[in-house]
Amino acid sequence: MTTPDERNELRYAEYVLGVLDADARAEVAREIQTLPEAATAVALWEQRLAPLTGSIREVPPPPYLWARIREALQLDIQARSRPTPSIWDSLRLWRWVGVGAIAVAAALALVVSVPGLIHPAAPVGEAAGYMASTIQQDNGATGWTATMDLKNARMIVVPGTPVALEAGRAPELWLIPQGGKPISVGMIERDKPTTLALDRAMLARLGPTAALAVSVEPLGGSPTGQPTGAVIARGAITGAPESTGPHTASVIAGRTDRPTA
Amino acid sequence: MTATASERDELNGLLVRTGRGDQASFAELYRRAAPKLYGVCLRMARDRGDADEVLQETFITVWHRAATFDPGKASAMTWLTTLARNKGIDRLRQHREETLGDPDHLNTLVDEDPTPAAGAEASQEYGRLARCLEALEPQQKRSVREAFFSGATYKELAARLDVPLGTMKSWIRRGLLQLRACLDS
Repeated sequence: MTTPDERNELRYAEYVLGVLDADARAEVAREIQTLPEAATAVALWEQRLAPLTGSIREVPPPPYLWARIREALQLDIQARSRPTPSIWDSLRLWRWVGVGAIAVAAALALVVSVPGLIHPAAPVGEAAGYMASTIQQDNGATGWTATMDLKNARMIVVPGTPVALEAGRAPELWLIPQGGKPISVGMIERDKPTTLALDRAMLARLGPTAALAVSVEPLGGSPTGQPTGAVIARGAITGAPESTGPHTASVIAGRTDRPTA
Repeated sequence: MTATASERDELNGLLVRTGRGDQASFAELYRRAAPKLYGVCLRMARDRGDADEVLQETFITVWHRAATFDPGKASAMTWLTTLARNKGIDRLRQHREETLGDPDHLNTLVDEDPTPAAGAEASQEYGRLARCLEALEPQQKRSVREAFFSGATYKELAARLDVPLGTMKSWIRRGLLQLRACLDS
């Protein structure tokens, strides 16, 4: 049988372990505030059990989280990490600007002109509301195709040739404004389409002077807010042909249903 | 790994200075501690969006409450971990109905073997705790670990492992008392 002291000791241990339901949990939380012995017992259990987190794998949080925290607290501190002197400085990214544009336009023109490929329910209107980018791997294969839907502030990224990555790594998409540092757009899938939200700052930077690139990062995204791994694909951004804008998105998104050319 | 004690002191210092409103220390604290805490959040949360919010709430609270941190009572990492876990558990309780019977959570029941601590910060304490855990019976060990990492209630744990509620309670309670005896000896 357990004594009342033991019962309480167990309740405090259970509180720290996290197995109590909401009511029992709230009760212990109150005791911590009012009873010094409760506060002491709970603190001791925290010290005993906290080391269990030693077995939990570290996962770098996505870069936008720090931005959100900073914004919520209205801190004026800028960077949490030193800028990574990386391939981004040495790579002549601008070489690719303009190269992909022609390919995209050609592909779109072809696709749009083939009857039956266009979604019949595709909305018409708002010309020039879309931009596109073919994000090519170094071997010339299309890694991903990105369509930017400006009106709805989102980007749909569809994989082309699947890219093999080592375990625990994932592709992260970056927007590189002309002369600026890469901005993380988000993590993208290797085998299915990803839809990413575009914030106002990003929308303002989209255009023919900007480029997209994909780097290999830990699963949670780059730990520094800047690319840390190898760049595996890049692409220029181009405005989609005006009249085909809305079609473009549906056609590209629909490509997942059939084998890529 | 490098000197555990100095890493621990550095983290304590960063948290203390954060309590004085030093933004650079807060930023550095985030850089060093967030990956571990995000791992804790991900293990507990239902999805990434949930984990994001728990980590965000955690660090917002860190900024506001860091002044109450007393390095004489606990290490910064224990303080931070406790804060993150409490946020995560509170959030799980808010969504209790949704998580009950969530088939996705069954996947997390695999009793993964502890991987070596990624950071050296808690490695010594971890080694001690790991040895004491090893001394428990398999079901006790598994239940205590699963409870700690998932933040699930007795009821949820019993349902997941398909044992009566009383059995789950007794595994965990006996496990906890044995752990205390082992750790305090």
